[in-house]
Amino acid sequence: MLTTDTTTMNVLIVEDERSLAREVETFLKKLFYTCEIAFTGNEASEKIAVNLYDFILLDLGLPDYDGLDLLSEAKKHNPEAACIILTARGSIQDRVKGLDLGADDYLPKPFSLLELQSRMQAIARRKFDLHSPLIALGEFSLDLTRRILSHHGTEITTITRKEFDLVSYLVLHKNRTLTRMQLNEHIWGSLITDDYDSNYIDAHIKNIRKKLGVFGNTDWLETVRGVGYRIRIGQG
Amino acid sequence: MKLHTKLTLFNTLSKLVIVVLFVMLIPLLTRKINQSFIDNRLLKQKDKVMQVIDSLGIRYYMPDDSSYGSYTMLKEEYIALDRYSSPVQLDTIANERRMVERDTIEYRILSHTFKAGNKDYLLEIGKSVSTIGETSSPLQSIALQVLLGMVLLTIVADFSYANYILQPLDRIIRAKLLGKRFPLVGTYPRIKTSTYDFKYLDESIHEMISHIEQAFQKEREFISNASHELMTPVSILQNKIENLFDREDITDDVQMQLIAMQKTLNRLKSIAQTLLLISQIENDQFIREDTIQVEEILKEVYEEIAIRMQDKNLGFTLDVPPDTKLVNVNRFLLFNLFFNLVNNAIKYNVPNGAIRITGSMVHGKFQLAFTDTGKGIPAEQIPLIFDRFKKFRQSSPQESFGLGLPIVKSIAGFHNILIKVESETGKGTTFTLTFPSELLPA
Repeated sequence: MLTTDTTTMNVLIVEDERSLAREVETFLKKLFYTCEIAFTGNEASEKIAVNLYDFILLDLGLPDYDGLDLLSEAKKHNPEAACIILTARGSIQDRVKGLDLGADDYLPKPFSLLELQSRMQAIARRKFDLHSPLIALGEFSLDLTRRILSHHGTEITTITRKEFDLVSYLVLHKNRTLTRMQLNEHIWGSLITDDYDSNYIDAHIKNIRKKLGVFGNTDWLETVRGVGYRIRIGQG
Repeated sequence: MKLHTKLTLFNTLSKLVIVVLFVMLIPLLTRKINQSFIDNRLLKQKDKVMQVIDSLGIRYYMPDDSSYGSYTMLKEEYIALDRYSSPVQLDTIANERRMVERDTIEYRILSHTFKAGNKDYLLEIGKSVSTIGETSSPLQSIALQVLLGMVLLTIVADFSYANYILQPLDRIIRAKLLGKRFPLVGTYPRIKTSTYDFKYLDESIHEMISHIEQAFQKEREFISNASHELMTPVSILQNKIENLFDREDITDDVQMQLIAMQKTLNRLKSIAQTLLLISQIENDQFIREDTIQVEEILKEVYEEIAIRMQDKNLGFTLDVPPDTKLVNVNRFLLFNLFFNLVNNAIKYNVPNGAIRITGSMVHGKFQLAFTDTGKGIPAEQIPLIFDRFKKFRQSSPQESFGLGLPIVKSIAGFHNILIKVESETGKGTTFTLTFPSELLPA
């Protein structure tokens, strides 16, 4: 393990699509990750052999290299690194193989950067044993590891899995406004349906406010008019 | 009617016609045969008489120049010699009646005139023909029986041979055409047959199937490649918008524009993802080895979708035997199948309506019915609702691109699940899934 501090984690982005790599880098740098980019498989192979990383974001569809070979190399030279496979060639076989070879997660393109961040945090919690402390939300507290939302020590059981996911996603991206589209993508992401405009986030938020309102004040869950929702923590 | 039945029937009929014709011809034939036989005998007898006259003289028969006549006991045959005075010479055989001792009998009579000792004589030899007719009717009935027996035998033989010779046809149809889903996996062994026509048919079907297969393959590859190629630019755009959105220096107006862009991009993404999913299913890229508890997965679907029902205030009933399991399925796909059916039932339902899911065993197969109290589908549109990008029910409040039911169809096809749609306009629709017995635990 290199470090337990998320803000100084080293990330290698292996992606042949340059502008995509740059966007991921921009996003992660803002979150204080230290990023390196490899645009080719060979470049990545060299970097993996020489440097140590906490995260390797690996595009499987590289023109010069078999992404799965690269994954094996990463496991050999960087056994501590968490590997997340990013691919547009999202065939199921790739997924199974990738996870068999020790990838920690798999994110099909196109993915939301927020989703990438939450996956990385989840892996960090699991893999680097980062026990997130209880997060205070007004009178409520959130335990991400045990997936419990409580009010003054009393667990709130009326909340559904989806509602919990929604709250924790907002907490993970605290103080940032998430659009309905982004929230939608997070909680409905794996489902493939033919609605592109269905949006039940408002209904979910209404339910959350109703259920938590019984216990206490939910002002920390803010509606940003015309944009989406935001959870404010620690800034008054 | 089956081909071999038709062939056998035709063979039987044609044989029967021939038999009947033959039996009807028997009297004529026997008469002909008998006649030529009798004529032959008469000629021989004439020759014999003439020989005797030549060697012993006419006096042998006619010692006192008076006529001579002789007949057998039952008057079946007779012979007569007499003087003849007409200048017309006779040498004929014909049927004529003769009075013999008060009996009139029909004879076949040979008449022959000849000269002996400067005098003309007439020789008549007759043979009764009345017995000929008597033999032909028993012959007819025997022939009829024997031939009918033979026809019966040949029917059996024809039927079994036709059956045997047409077997390859049945095999070709069963092995090559029935229940084939594209893409076809594996190779196709040639059907063994010595009949050229069936070989030709088999080869033609092979050729046709490989053409269809190629066309399918091309379409699948195209969809798969197109979707993949679309994913990368969509990915870049999505991330660019996300990063832009995060910048401090953008105005509210720009932010709204970005949200609108995100929405449009999401639409593009959904279509590409759905097409990709369908092409992956049709490419057999999913594994079928999960075991699912039907009630459990439907509850999960409900949990996932409850918010949408709440939005329309829909009632929901789940009535599935709690221990029903399905094996050799893909969980992810079945979840999507159920989700899309329930989603459909919500989308086209009326406010305060209801949705019911009922599971039951019917003839050893598991059936799952999704019933809604929605607007219903006009009968003429039912065959088209599974077509891609077809949108009929325009009044739907949500925007969709018409791929929900094609997903359902692909997933059902992948698992050999039968879908039946029953609908009554204004009352509602029921989608019934029938799971093949191989998906039930043994």
